[in-house]
Amino acid sequence: MTLFIQQLFNGLALGGVYCLAAIGLTLVFGVLRIPNLAHGALYMLGAYLTYFFLTTIGVPYIAAIGIAAIMLFVVGVGLERLVFHPLRNSPHTHHMIAAVGAMFFFQALAQAIWGADFRRMDTPITGELRILGAEISAQRIVIIVVAVIVLALLAWFIKRSIHGQTIEAIEQDRVGASLVGINPSMVSMLTLGLSALLATIAAGLVAPINLLSPTMGDALNLKVFAIIILGGLGSLPGAIVGGFALAIAETMTATYISSGVGEAVAFIVLVAVLAIKPTGLFTKAVQR
Amino acid sequence: MNSVPRTRSRRLLSSAAIGTLVFTIAACGGGGSGDGGDTVVIGYTGPLSGGGAAYGENVKIGLEMAVDDLNDDGVEVDGKPVTLELKSLDDKYAPSTAASNAQRLADQDKAPVVVSPNAGAIKAIQQINSGRSNFLISAYTSDPAIVQSDNPLTMMIPPNFESYASEFTETGMKHGGKKLALLGTQSEYGQQWTKSITDAWKEAGGSVGGDNSVDYATVSDFAGPVSKALADKPDAIFVGGPSQPTALIMEEARKQGFEGSFLVMDQAKLDEMATVAKIDNLTNSVGVLPVSEYEDPGTKDFIDKFADKAGDKKVPTSETALNYQGIAIITKAMEVSGSTDDPEKIRASISDALPEVDDKYKVNGFPDEITDQGHLLNPNLEATYLDDDGEYTKVPIDQVSDAK
Amino acid sequence: MNALKNPRLLGMLAVVIVLAAAPIFFAEQNYAMRVVTVGMCAAIAVYGLNIILGFTGQLSLAQGGFFGIGAYGVGLLTTDFDWSFWSAFIVTIIGTAAVGYLCGLIALRTKDEYFAIFTMAIGFIIFLVISRWESVTHAHSGVNNVKFPEGGGIIDFESPVAMFYLVFVILLICIYVTHAIRRSSVGRTLLTIRTSEDLADAIGVRVGFSKQLAFAASAVLGGIGGGLYATVVGFIGPDSASIDKTFEFLMFILVGGMGTVAGPLLGSMIVTFLFELFQDFQAYRFIVLGPIIVALVIFAPRGIIGYLGGIVDRRSRKQKIAEARRTADGASPEYDTAKSGTVTSGIDPEETK
Repeated sequence: MTLFIQQLFNGLALGGVYCLAAIGLTLVFGVLRIPNLAHGALYMLGAYLTYFFLTTIGVPYIAAIGIAAIMLFVVGVGLERLVFHPLRNSPHTHHMIAAVGAMFFFQALAQAIWGADFRRMDTPITGELRILGAEISAQRIVIIVVAVIVLALLAWFIKRSIHGQTIEAIEQDRVGASLVGINPSMVSMLTLGLSALLATIAAGLVAPINLLSPTMGDALNLKVFAIIILGGLGSLPGAIVGGFALAIAETMTATYISSGVGEAVAFIVLVAVLAIKPTGLFTKAVQR
Repeated sequence: MNSVPRTRSRRLLSSAAIGTLVFTIAACGGGGSGDGGDTVVIGYTGPLSGGGAAYGENVKIGLEMAVDDLNDDGVEVDGKPVTLELKSLDDKYAPSTAASNAQRLADQDKAPVVVSPNAGAIKAIQQINSGRSNFLISAYTSDPAIVQSDNPLTMMIPPNFESYASEFTETGMKHGGKKLALLGTQSEYGQQWTKSITDAWKEAGGSVGGDNSVDYATVSDFAGPVSKALADKPDAIFVGGPSQPTALIMEEARKQGFEGSFLVMDQAKLDEMATVAKIDNLTNSVGVLPVSEYEDPGTKDFIDKFADKAGDKKVPTSETALNYQGIAIITKAMEVSGSTDDPEKIRASISDALPEVDDKYKVNGFPDEITDQGHLLNPNLEATYLDDDGEYTKVPIDQVSDAK
Repeated sequence: MNALKNPRLLGMLAVVIVLAAAPIFFAEQNYAMRVVTVGMCAAIAVYGLNIILGFTGQLSLAQGGFFGIGAYGVGLLTTDFDWSFWSAFIVTIIGTAAVGYLCGLIALRTKDEYFAIFTMAIGFIIFLVISRWESVTHAHSGVNNVKFPEGGGIIDFESPVAMFYLVFVILLICIYVTHAIRRSSVGRTLLTIRTSEDLADAIGVRVGFSKQLAFAASAVLGGIGGGLYATVVGFIGPDSASIDKTFEFLMFILVGGMGTVAGPLLGSMIVTFLFELFQDFQAYRFIVLGPIIVALVIFAPRGIIGYLGGIVDRRSRKQKIAEARRTADGASPEYDTAKSGTVTSGIDPEETK
C-alpha cells in the first residue's frame, strides 16, 4: 500500500509535467493545425535557460523560471514567424520536417553553449513529506501544485480574457474569426509563444529531479504526442486527462508489471484507443 | 497539390538555396586530403552529438591530449619525423554511420588507426577493417565480444567487464547483505552487466529480486523505479549507466531510506558522480577506481593537464585516460614497427612497444601485455570501495579470460 | 519515343545513368561506394513512402519501423537461423507485407494528423520491440555478420561493386514499379484519393481497399530497403528501426520532390552527401544543417524535382506562347494559357503572367 501511494504521487508529479507540455502542443495544433515536433527542443531550451538564470546569474528559483518562460515566449514567436508562418499554406509534411530542422538546430545550439555534459540544477526546495507512510519529496508536491495552478490560470485566460478568447475563436472557426476582425497571424504567434512558455514551466519544475542535457526533450516529445492524440488533437481537457492518465499508467505498469512495459504503455494505450475510436477520446469537430 | 504563391524574390531565394546545395555537393567530390608528407591521421568516430555526446567528448579530449603531447615530444618513424593529426567524425552512436565514418577516415585520410568507443559501432567497423580496407581499431569498450570475433586488427583497451562481477559481489555482500535489487540501465552494456552480476550473486548464495532496469536516458523521474526496487527491501542494489543519472538514482534511493550497499557498474565513475550529488549519498558502494586514485607514474601530470584543458569542474575519467594511453601505445608501436601505414605491422609491434612507452603516458593502470586476440591487459587491475567516510579503499580484481 | 521529349523522364534517365556509371570512378573508393549503396537502400524505402505519401497523400511515419523489420528479418534469419540470403530476403518481404497490411487495417481507420501520429506510434512500438526483446533480437547487442547474398559462384557479392549493382538493379525495379503504379488505374485511384477522399468515394472508388494496398506496398518497399541495408552494412542495431530513420526518409522525399518519379532517388543522394559533407563540423553540423533543412522546405516546397520541373514548364510554356503569337496574332492568349495550364498542373496562375 505504501508503495502504491508512493507511486501514485510520483505518477501525479509526472502527470503535471506531461500536462503542461501537452497543453501547449495541443493549443498549437488547434490554432495552427500543425504537429510541432520541435516542442521537446523548446522544453529543453527552457530548462537550460532556467538553469542559466538560477545557477549562473543567481536569481531565485521562481524568478528564474519566470524569466526563462518569457524568453522562450519570444523564441516561440520567432519560431512561428521564421518557420511556420512562411509554411502556413503547405501540407503538414512540410511543417514536420521544418520542425525537425529547427529541433536539430536547437539541440546543436544548446550543446555548443552549455556542452554535452549532463547538468544538475539544484533546487531550493528540499525535504520530504510523509503522506500515509510514503516519502514524497517536496519538489514533487510543488510540481503537482504549480501544474494545477498554471492549468487553472490557463483555463481562465482562454475562457475569460480577450486574447485567450481569440485563441479559442480561431480554433473553432478560422474564417469566421478573421471575419470578425481577429488577426490569425497574431493569434498564431501568441499560441506558439504560449506553448513554449508552458513547456518552460514544465521543464523548470522537472529539471531539479532530473538532469539537463541537449537531448532531454526527445523522450518527452514522443510521449506528449501520444497524449494529445489520445485526448483528441486540439482538446484542452483531452490533454489534461491524457497527461495524468498516461503518467499514472506509466508508473503503475512499471511498478506492477515491468519497466519495459511501462515505457511502451503510452503507445500501446494509444494504439488500442485509436483502434476503437479513431479520433481520440475528446473529439472536437475537426474543421479544415 | 501544394502550390504556394511565389513572388520573384522568393524564386531568387530558392535558386540561391538550391545553388548553394549544388555547389556544396560539387565541393563534396573534391574532398580527400591529409597526405601532407609526414602527417599521420588518427581517426576517431564517436557520438559527438545526440544522447551520447558527453561520452564521445570525454574520449575525444583524451585523444587530443595524447596527440598534442606526442607531437610535442616528437614522433620519429623509420628515421623520419612524423606529425600526428586527430580527425574526429560524429556518428551519433549509430553503428552503420560509425562504419561509414571509419571507411572514410581510412580511405580519404589514410588513417592507419580508427578509435571507436562503443561496442555496436566496433562490431560494425569490424566488418570492413580487414580485407579490402585495412586499419587498426582502437576499441574502447569492455565488452569481450569484440575480441571473441578474432578480428586481426582490433586493440581492446579497457579490462573485460566480466572480471568485476565476483569481486563486486563479495564486497557488496560484505557491506550490505544477501539480497540484491537490480536497477541498472537498459542499454546493451547495462543488460550484459546485469546478467553477469546476477549470475555471480546467485553463485555466491545470494538472492536476486526482479529486474527493475530502466532506460537512464529516457526516464523523466527516477523516484518510481527506485520505490519499486526498494519495495523488496534489498540489502544491496546494482546501479549504473552514465555517471550523472546513476548518481541521481543512488541519491533517490538514500532519500527513500535505503541503507545497504551499492554495486556500481564500470560505466559510472564515483568521482564524476560526486560532481552532481553529495558524496554522503554515494558512500558504501563498490565501483571502478577513479583516475585520481591511480598511482601510475604519469597520473599526476595527466590530471593537471586535464584541468588546464577541460577546466576544473570536469573530472578526468578512464574514458579520457585510457584513450590517452591507447594512442601513446599505438604511436610507440608505429615507431617500433617503422611503419605508419601498415596496420598489420603496427598491430604486431604493440607487444614489443608496451615496455618502451614513456612513463608520462602511463596514467590509468598501464598494460604489460596484449593477448593474441588483441586485448591489453593490466596486471594489477583494481576496483574500489567507497566507505562511509568517503575514503576509497582499493579492491584487487582477478581478471577472467575473454573466451566465451 | 515520346518519353524522350518529356523532360522529367529525361532527367530521371540522366540520374540513373550517372548513378550506373558511378562505380567506374569510385570503384577504388570504398567509402564513396558505401555511402552511395547505403543511400540507395534508403532510396528504396523512400519510394515506398512516395506511394503512400506522394501518391495517396497520407503521411505515414512508420516507414523507419518497416525498414527495421526488413533489416532484422534478413539479419536474424541469415545469422541465428542460418538461412541463405535469398530465402531470408523473400520471406522478409512477405513478412513486411503481412505486417504492413495488418498495421494498415487499424491505422487507416484514422485520418490526416491522427494517421500521421498513429503511424509514428506504430513505428515507435516496432522500435521498442526490436530494442527490448532481447531473446530474439539481441536488443542493443545487434545482429552481427549478416550474410552476403549468394552469387551462385558467378558473382561475388563481397565486392562492393557487385553489391552496388545488386542494390542498383533492385532500386531500378522499385522505381519502375512505382512508376507503373502511378500510370495504372490503381495509381489514378490513389491520386484521386489524394485530391479528395470524399470525391473518390462518391464516384465509386474503393477508398479503403486502395489505401490499404498503398500502405502495404509502401511497407514492402521499406522492408526491401531494410533487407538490403542489412546485408550491405553487415551489422545492424536497433537504430536501424528508429524514428530518426523515418524523419530521414521524409527529408529525402521532401528535398527530392514528393509524388515525382526521380525525386526520392535524387533527394536520398543529395541529402546523404550533404550529411557526409558537413561531417567536418562534427557536433556543430546541425547548427548549419538545421536551418538549411528549414530553408529548403520553405523556399523549395516541391523539392528539387518540383523546382526543376517548374523551370522546364515555364520555359516550354513561354515557347508555346511565343509560337502561338507568331503563328496567329489574333488568337486569344487565354486559350494558350489555359491549355498549358492543364498540361502542367500544380503551377500557380501568377507564374504564367
